[in-house]
Amino acid sequence: MRDTYVFLGLILLFAAVNIGLVASGILAADWTGLGIIVAAGLTLALYSFLYKDNPLFKFAEHVFVGVAAAYVFGQTWYPTIYGELIAEWTDSGEGETPNWWLLAPTVLGLLMLTRFSLRFGWLSRYAFAFFVGLGAGLTIPRYISSFILAQIEPTLQPLTWSLEGLDLLIVLVGVIGVLVYFFFSVEHTGTAGHISKVGIWFLMVSFGASFGYTIMARVSLLIGRVTFLLDDWLHLM
Amino acid sequence: MHKLLAIDRRIIFVLVFISVAGPLLAGISLPITPTDEVKAAYDQFEKLDAGDIVLVSFSYGASTQPEMLPMSRAMLRHAFRRDLKVVAICLWPEAPGLAQQVLEEMAAEFDLEYGVDYAFMGYKPGNFSVILNMGQDFRSAFPQDQWGAETGDLDLTRGLRSLRDFDLVLDLAAGDSIEFWWIPYGQEKYGFTFVAGCTAVMAPDLYPFLDSGQLGGLLGGLAGAAEYETLIDHRGSASMGMSAQSMTHLVIALFVIIGNIAYFVARRTSSEQRS
Repeated sequence: MRDTYVFLGLILLFAAVNIGLVASGILAADWTGLGIIVAAGLTLALYSFLYKDNPLFKFAEHVFVGVAAAYVFGQTWYPTIYGELIAEWTDSGEGETPNWWLLAPTVLGLLMLTRFSLRFGWLSRYAFAFFVGLGAGLTIPRYISSFILAQIEPTLQPLTWSLEGLDLLIVLVGVIGVLVYFFFSVEHTGTAGHISKVGIWFLMVSFGASFGYTIMARVSLLIGRVTFLLDDWLHLM
Repeated sequence: MHKLLAIDRRIIFVLVFISVAGPLLAGISLPITPTDEVKAAYDQFEKLDAGDIVLVSFSYGASTQPEMLPMSRAMLRHAFRRDLKVVAICLWPEAPGLAQQVLEEMAAEFDLEYGVDYAFMGYKPGNFSVILNMGQDFRSAFPQDQWGAETGDLDLTRGLRSLRDFDLVLDLAAGDSIEFWWIPYGQEKYGFTFVAGCTAVMAPDLYPFLDSGQLGGLLGGLAGAAEYETLIDHRGSASMGMSAQSMTHLVIALFVIIGNIAYFVARRTSSEQRS
């Protein structure tokens, strides 16, 4: 019950602040001003989850999901499905021939949708077979070239007595250590055990770096929202 | 010590909020030193001559805008200052509105003419297959711009045939488009100079591509954007946010240290009590 009063109080406070901002002319009484108020309200509603799960958070979450889904649908439908496919037949000018090749991917795409039917679901296998075959054929050579061959080259540069040489040595030791750690056909005892332990240390450093960057990213997002609230909404900055 | 370990997490949230809001309200400014990977990205733009064409791919949505928008602004500002031409595309469905916003800002700031100084081709679904398509025939991948004008009718895009016609490609990404779309299907295949800006979460995974030369430069998160703002001598929202970023990192590091000390002391006390 206490939480209900807290949230009702916060809603009233939010309304009072906005009335004050508009009345004092800090926020314009137009669509831009309304947009800022709505954005500020949704931001605060989403952050209210940090206190406790509540209906305000759920409302904001569902609004976001709905708007994002509709936006993505609009972006896909109008320029691509309608603009480049349907309009090819419906809006083609006099003397213009529609691109009949477009029918092939269209039919394959429609076949994928047959998965929703128990009776015709088997037809989707043809579309998936095409998709998997094409995907594998395109991906395997590209990935070997980009992620294996292109990465081996800088790893196996000649070592020199310099800082760059030290960098190379560390990278080389790390690569070998991690490769041995993930080599499960040999028991990790003796020399293999020592090398794999080095690999574990490199992995730990890598996880630590990733975690540090993740914190930085999340804090950056918080800074973005706090800047919006303090500057665009409250004009305190 | 046990009380410290069982501290209400909401107290930590309040302290983190204060550490973000405090420096922003106080306007504290800390020095920013550009790192090598950001300098490398800057140098790639510096190498280009006026009139050279840059392809900018926007692959981020609203959820990462606080990180991605400052670097988009900084890099586009640098490009237009050097009189480079920009062709913008979107490979994420959420991106067109955000891309349009930053392009319009730049157009107003530099008095740019649409179709001559920059062009916006809009969003195209298909992920890496769009990149392959652009490599083979740019006009078949983007037959029209965002507003329905024919690609062949715009001065800037009329002569573009392939990805090889671009002097630089920049991907501003919040997903895996740099690593899994642009490098294998674009840069490796067509050999153009490739620079990227990404969220901080993605940055550690991309460092190996700098060593291999597949990436010509990299901006990671808000820090990367702030470093780029320093290089172009234009203090923007990223630079202003860095003081808050540093303060929050300090608070989090303190919590990690205090938490660890409390944990070990509590464990020692418990073991002493047992014995």
